[in-house]
Amino acid sequence: MSNLSVLLKGKIGSLFLNFEHTFKNDGITILCGPNGSGKTTIISVLGGFIKNIETRIIFNGNEIKDIDKYTHYKRPFGIMFQNPILFDHLNVEENLDFVIKRQKSKSQNKILISKEYLINHLELTSLLKRSPENLSGGEKLRVVLARTILKQPNYLLLDEPMSDLDLKYKAKLLIFLKDFNKQFKIPILYITHSIEEISQIGDQIVLIKDGKKIDSGSVTNVLNRNSFIDLIGKFEISSLLEGIVVNYDQMLNITTLDLDGQKLIVPGLPGNLKNIVRVRIRSRDILLSPSRLETNITENELQGVISSIEIEDNSAFSELVIRLKNLKNNEKIQKIRSRITTYNLKKMKLLINDSVFIYISSVSIDRQAYQST
Amino acid sequence: MDIFYHLSSDIIAILITLKLAIITCFFLALIGTPLAYFLAFKSKKTKPYIETIVTLPLVLPPTVIGFYLIIFFSPETTLGKIFIMLTGEQLIFSFYGLVLASIIYSLPFWVQPLQASFEKIGRDTIWTSHSLGAGLLDTFFNVIIPLSKKGFLTSFIISFAHTLGEFGIVLMVGGGIHGKTKVIAISIYDHVEQLSFDKAHILAGGMLILSFIILLTLFHFNKRTVVRVK
Repeated sequence: MSNLSVLLKGKIGSLFLNFEHTFKNDGITILCGPNGSGKTTIISVLGGFIKNIETRIIFNGNEIKDIDKYTHYKRPFGIMFQNPILFDHLNVEENLDFVIKRQKSKSQNKILISKEYLINHLELTSLLKRSPENLSGGEKLRVVLARTILKQPNYLLLDEPMSDLDLKYKAKLLIFLKDFNKQFKIPILYITHSIEEISQIGDQIVLIKDGKKIDSGSVTNVLNRNSFIDLIGKFEISSLLEGIVVNYDQMLNITTLDLDGQKLIVPGLPGNLKNIVRVRIRSRDILLSPSRLETNITENELQGVISSIEIEDNSAFSELVIRLKNLKNNEKIQKIRSRITTYNLKKMKLLINDSVFIYISSVSIDRQAYQST
Repeated sequence: MDIFYHLSSDIIAILITLKLAIITCFFLALIGTPLAYFLAFKSKKTKPYIETIVTLPLVLPPTVIGFYLIIFFSPETTLGKIFIMLTGEQLIFSFYGLVLASIIYSLPFWVQPLQASFEKIGRDTIWTSHSLGAGLLDTFFNVIIPLSKKGFLTSFIISFAHTLGEFGIVLMVGGGIHGKTKVIAISIYDHVEQLSFDKAHILAGGMLILSFIILLTLFHFNKRTVVRVK
């Protein structure tokens, strides 16, 4: 199995980097951490642009050192920097050709991804003859992404590519990246701290703080861990649930998901029948009750058992983790987080191992977070 | 008769001046461009020292530069001896002495606009080019140079105009020898000294119009690019 194994040690400016991780060679790996934690530095080191630190980078069995064969302009990575740049003296098509020309001279790289594929999928046809100076942020980003991919890289490194993009573009581009990743089997390292982006396209996630790795694993697992919550703050805490599409009601435009035997109704059509989809639910959008409510106030009622309760100091809130009942008796355990006031927790007299009923309005299920896997 | 003699000698001075400016700019491109690149991207600790040396000709009185160059170019120095060995004539009061002096005093006029232009391109653009597989020279010729067209034009025009107009150093180092080192600025001085104001008018007026056109072209071009960027 060819992975990207990375060991980086050294001081860069005020940051002391001491990072070790083996990135998987498929899927999309998220690199997440606060500003100044070293995310961008890691990409710059991988690209060979920061040299004066200790590195051991092993990719596809070869050690990538700063020697002629792997000097910074010969590395097999496609890098999109945080501040994406097009060459202003070339039009859009010439910008794309810039990398194609330089790729042709290297015979060992097969051309997997064609210019036409990217022009079609990133909707660049009308932009080709335009000057980069007249492009909007979203248009520029698509061109830069296309140019980066045209390098035919063996690993794609994207540094917060969508940070200043409007939602409409963002959703489209995330779907493109996911499909691209699956179709061409080119692994992606994706830097972001946007929970939408993480839950939508991430397979694996690595958390970094002050130059050190603090946690890693699959996105569905890590998002429920305290390490992740400490990093992004409590307000945005949410849970990712996976379910299989079992029914779509065309009239009402709603989809029923099967969550290990329980039903969850979500708006729209997140995926085809029998596909697994992932939805994100914020913990502040969840209502709990110790007993079943005879109500139609929400579409969804789930059952679970409280597995942990954390009463926060100096705050009005408590955090509960609830293990959803698995009616199919398979191995899968799905957990959902709930954030309620400590006042309400005491009023309902909830304790660990109590059974609870969970009420979720379909409106609060994040439509952006749909993803078929 | 007399007026024709002077006119033709003025034409020779004009030709010498243009030749001097063109050759100077050619060498400035060769020397000043890598220097500007080094100052923009490579130097860190040495930058203020190199910048100071490059900028010195801008603030020193021309007579100070001229004085040191006369000493430096004299047949007793190594440089002077080498030049005599190669050409059989001495460097001082020769056309090539004039070229060397022009390169030195016009250097800041070439380096500064270009350095600013390189710095505007920034590190990210260069990193992007490398990450797309373009090597160092490839990036320099196909990304940096085309992106600093404006900087090159500014450097060229200002250095060219500055070389045309220099008087003090040229007089000290070249001596104003007719047909050899006598440039327009010295011709005008000679005409005024001889009270031939009519001839001085022709040359001075010509210089005024030429300088006006050069600067107008420069500012027009720069203004247009600024508007287009916005």
